[in-house]
Amino acid sequence: MSRCVGPGGRQVLCTKPTGEVLLSRDGGRLLGALHLEHPIARIVVACVSSHLKKTGDGAKTFIIFLCHLLRGLHAITEKEKNSWISENIQTHERHWKNCCQWKFISQALLMFQTQILDCIVDRYLSRHFLSIFSSSAKERTLCRSSLELLLEAYFCGRVGRNNHRFISQLMCDYFFKCMTCTSDTEVFELVDDCFIELNVGVTGLPVSDSRIIDGLVLHRDFSVYCPADGDIRMVIVTEIIQPLFSTSGSEFILSSEAQFQTSQFWIMERTKALMKHLDSQNVKLLLSSVKQPDLVIYYARLSGISVVECLSSEEISLIQRIIGISPFVLPQASSWYAISNSALVKFCKPFILRSKRYVHLGLISTCTFIPHCIVLCGPVQGLVEQHENALHGAFKMLRQLFKDFDLNYVKQTSDQNDTSNPLIHKNSRESNQLLKISNHSIQKPHHDIVVKNGDELEKTQAYLKVHSNLVVSNIELETYIPCSATKPTPTNTFQIDDTLKYLSSEKNRIIDDYELLTDNNLTGNSKTENTRVEIPYEYLQVTKISRTKSKLPVRYKSLDLGTPQSYHSSSMPAGSVLPVGGNFEILLHYYLLNYAKTCQQSEEAMVSTLIANALLGIPKILFKTKKVNYSFPQIYLRTLHALQTNQLMVSSQAGLESVIGKYQLLTSVLQCLTKILTIDLIISIKRQPQKIYDQDSEDEL
Amino acid sequence: MSRLEAKKPSVCKSEPLTNETVRATLSVLKGVLTSCYGPSGRLKQLHNGLGGYVCTTSQSSALLRNLSVTHPILKILTTSVQNHVSCFSDCGLFTAILCCNLIENVQKIGLTPTTVIKLNKHLLNLCTNYLKSEACGCRIPVDFSSSQILLCLVRSILTSKPACMLTRKEIDHISALILRAFLLTIPENTDDSIILGKSIIVPLKGQRVTDSTVLPGVLIEMSEVQLKRMLPIKKASALKVALFCVSLSGDFADTGEGTVVVSYGMSLENAALDQLLNLGRQLISDHVDLVLCQKVIHPSLKQFLSTHHIIAIDRVGVALMEPLSKVTGTQPIGSIGSVSSSSYGIVKELCSAKFGSKHFFHLIPNEATICSLLLSNRNDTAWDELKLTCQAALHILHLTIKEPWALLGGGCTETHLAAFIRYKARNEPESILTDDGCTQAELQLIAEAFCSALESLAGSLEHDGGEIVTDMKYGHLWSVQGDCPSVVNWPDLLSRCGCGLYSSQEELSWSFLRSTCHPFAPQTCLPHKTVSPTSNLIVDCLTAKLSGLQVAVETANLILDLSYVIEDKN
Repeated sequence: MSRCVGPGGRQVLCTKPTGEVLLSRDGGRLLGALHLEHPIARIVVACVSSHLKKTGDGAKTFIIFLCHLLRGLHAITEKEKNSWISENIQTHERHWKNCCQWKFISQALLMFQTQILDCIVDRYLSRHFLSIFSSSAKERTLCRSSLELLLEAYFCGRVGRNNHRFISQLMCDYFFKCMTCTSDTEVFELVDDCFIELNVGVTGLPVSDSRIIDGLVLHRDFSVYCPADGDIRMVIVTEIIQPLFSTSGSEFILSSEAQFQTSQFWIMERTKALMKHLDSQNVKLLLSSVKQPDLVIYYARLSGISVVECLSSEEISLIQRIIGISPFVLPQASSWYAISNSALVKFCKPFILRSKRYVHLGLISTCTFIPHCIVLCGPVQGLVEQHENALHGAFKMLRQLFKDFDLNYVKQTSDQNDTSNPLIHKNSRESNQLLKISNHSIQKPHHDIVVKNGDELEKTQAYLKVHSNLVVSNIELETYIPCSATKPTPTNTFQIDDTLKYLSSEKNRIIDDYELLTDNNLTGNSKTENTRVEIPYEYLQVTKISRTKSKLPVRYKSLDLGTPQSYHSSSMPAGSVLPVGGNFEILLHYYLLNYAKTCQQSEEAMVSTLIANALLGIPKILFKTKKVNYSFPQIYLRTLHALQTNQLMVSSQAGLESVIGKYQLLTSVLQCLTKILTIDLIISIKRQPQKIYDQDSEDEL
Repeated sequence: MSRLEAKKPSVCKSEPLTNETVRATLSVLKGVLTSCYGPSGRLKQLHNGLGGYVCTTSQSSALLRNLSVTHPILKILTTSVQNHVSCFSDCGLFTAILCCNLIENVQKIGLTPTTVIKLNKHLLNLCTNYLKSEACGCRIPVDFSSSQILLCLVRSILTSKPACMLTRKEIDHISALILRAFLLTIPENTDDSIILGKSIIVPLKGQRVTDSTVLPGVLIEMSEVQLKRMLPIKKASALKVALFCVSLSGDFADTGEGTVVVSYGMSLENAALDQLLNLGRQLISDHVDLVLCQKVIHPSLKQFLSTHHIIAIDRVGVALMEPLSKVTGTQPIGSIGSVSSSSYGIVKELCSAKFGSKHFFHLIPNEATICSLLLSNRNDTAWDELKLTCQAALHILHLTIKEPWALLGGGCTETHLAAFIRYKARNEPESILTDDGCTQAELQLIAEAFCSALESLAGSLEHDGGEIVTDMKYGHLWSVQGDCPSVVNWPDLLSRCGCGLYSSQEELSWSFLRSTCHPFAPQTCLPHKTVSPTSNLIVDCLTAKLSGLQVAVETANLILDLSYVIEDKN
């Protein structure tokens, strides 16, 4: 597995019993192809695939990380076992003892994952985050160059190294062509769900012939094609247009030959009239999910209506999602009314790719997705599939990246109204009032979080000053809202004494309350009752704030993010990224070790160091092939030095990776590990698996 | 009954290319393909031990289709070549041999796959840019106002397929036929977009090759008795045609999901027949002369029509439907009720034709882009090969009309390209190494491997023990007869270069292909006078060859990049 990781990794060829040949660097696919037998291995594979389904990235890292964790655990238990041997315990008993110990560790891991990890990520790591959004304008705009870097880094690990640049360029083009300025995550959902319909694979052409096509390409040919100009309208049908003798559940009685002939005549006339009617409504294209009879085809041709038959239900639903029309319902009576369920089409023409014919539609989108298709070329099917999967994975990754991610972590926060622009708003007349908080634990850094109200009129900035005091395991939420005169200043204090009894319901409540307060604050300032709740989430951006040991926080803006940016409470903002090359791992390693030093409980410290050391395994592999100057120890030392001296980290490689992806990977691995560790016995059953009848399903029926 | 069986774990092998058996099978495959290459290539006879007929061929498409390879790496290679051939119909062997050569040469060097792949990619870009550029010295424009180059193109394809068993005279005949068939598919009055027609290849086995011919319109084969019954056709003017795509046998179409109850004593057959006869009456009143049906016509209707001097032909088959509808200008009729008068079409003339032992109905259109190419050859295997070759040639002509350029054939393009790359890599390595990571020494190694892959590809055109030399001015390929005296006057020994563009009387200097020579800049920019009307050039299609080159390098890169093979043994 390790040979496929990262940009220097190589391809793996899989063959199937049917004779198909598949090329892959996708960890999940490879694991599936291996057909591992060991039950633990199968648990791992199941965990990986469920992780992949969600994020589309990181299967190989998953395995490596897990491997290192297990090795680390083994080393720890070995050490302890040696001490036990002197106690002369019987083997069986020792086994149970071992299991108990593992279970203990697994609990510690779980606790770490739910409590400590989030806090560390938020407090320390978030300072290093970069954002892929450029914040020059008020709107959240996507920075093309950083997206390119991100995608390139992603495809480095997924497709063959001679193609990754081309594919990432293709993806980038596709992305920007499909997005409108108002597009949101809904586009990702659509592309992610319907990706199979949005690309066309062609074998036998060089990869460089792949391209993006405006409009939608349906994997079917026209049954009837009538070239039409001007306004083309189209309808979707999901049933046979021609009336039939009988529908299901009914009976049609033929009593005479004349009746039979008249009924056939009526069917014909009816079909003809319907087609004429469609034609009169300027409908020139009929998309059908079923095969239509010859009669319908004939009359469609006579009326100059193009017909596409046998579309899959996925294609139909994609078209419906894009243009937002429902299928055409056949009028029951002879009354003809205007057809409402039709949509305008820019063009519709046949499209020939490698002597196979497709239907090319120019849909006018009613949602934020502008339809485009990717034509993927490659010499062999395996390569085309690999690229297809990689692109799909990339969209999954982006979908995750563009979502805010809430961390289960609440800090002691204090709001403060700060007027950076006193000229603009009279409400913000209070001067830059800094709250004096007596900081008891000096070694804990101040964490400054800036919320920027994105309103165009107001430049109010609220500095949320965070002071965390986790050593005493107390979490206090203090909110001071020194608002303008209109609103009283509510000051709420929540206190939770014990972190260990940190129930999720309580957490939620606190977060809710906190948001409420923020909301109050903002509405008080702006006096506009729009969807201000969303704003902090919409305009989330990260500031790199230097960590200083003084009490007055000194802020400086990170180099690539020019204007002051906002940040809000304990959620990971959408679009946060880090440079590639094991930066995430090294950073987390560093902070975890630091944390472990301050830990009082031994197992917490143990778990943190364990994870920290295991994390280093990934960059070690990444830098294995590099030259001396870029070898792992060099990079490691350089980074640590930079961290200790509060310098900006210099990344040796261009390229970015999603923080959320990494974070989710970490939590998935830890969950998987706890699952494995809680198992104490494997019982193998040689019998055929018996069918388990699901009782719920019967109820549903 | 289904049997449940636990899945066996897969077999995982690392570094497949270092395996000795893989190398051996790869070189065997290369040997097979190389020996087929070119006009003097050897034929392969393919037997299947389980049955089927014996196939004699030297074409990659037939060869690879019948060859069963087991190793996944070979499978990748063959499928990629087959996919290329199904797109471009030509240059299959070129692609396969080049790919094998590249893999073999690169393995000898022993650089890491990363650098090899990167450099191969750079060199490929260099090649494609050069071949597409104006300065390219090995491509010539295709002039559609004269048939010279087009004929050369077709003839080159025919000569490179020795399994067709054609003599020189027959090659001339067939290539003229193919070109004429192609020209017949081009519509006369064109609007903005040209939609090419179709040439239907009609088999005429067992006749002489020179009996092959091209006819405009569609031929429908039928028995002599049927033909006699319908003829003679008296009408002199154009005939009115109705083309049905529904069955006229009176069968009952889809009745829906419910039940249909037929009361006792009622005859649906009669009802259906009544309808058919009504249709017949309508056809008569519309003065239709010819009724064609994709499916079956009811015998009573047939009888009825023939008594009214309407010719009815049924069971035409779906393959002929589109050409028929184009030739006659009809719309296929899908209704047995009323027929709109706009669906009828017209045929200029209808006559019978006899070729060999077969009888045909010949529909001659006024003007249409459909023609029939009657191909004959001595035996079945040679006919199959000839048919494939004709299809390939027609396809190549299609591609050429889209991109009107041709590359010099006969191995000259390959040697020229090799000389060009070698010169570039030696003298301007900075232009190739645009990004970091590769040293100039690595580039020299890989460029040498790439060039020798191209040159040995060109060299494999020679099968008769001759020697291959290249000139130092144009970088073209010249082949010398075997067993020549060691010291001779080169210009006497060589007459023309591989593609036939240059003659040896031009003060050239030569060197052996496989010897280490000083890199020189091959002369770019062809002189304009080059293509004289009498010259008999060998040319290849640019589109096919360019894509073949790209596919070969990409496939080689892909195979070199493999680090594991996981075989699912279930």
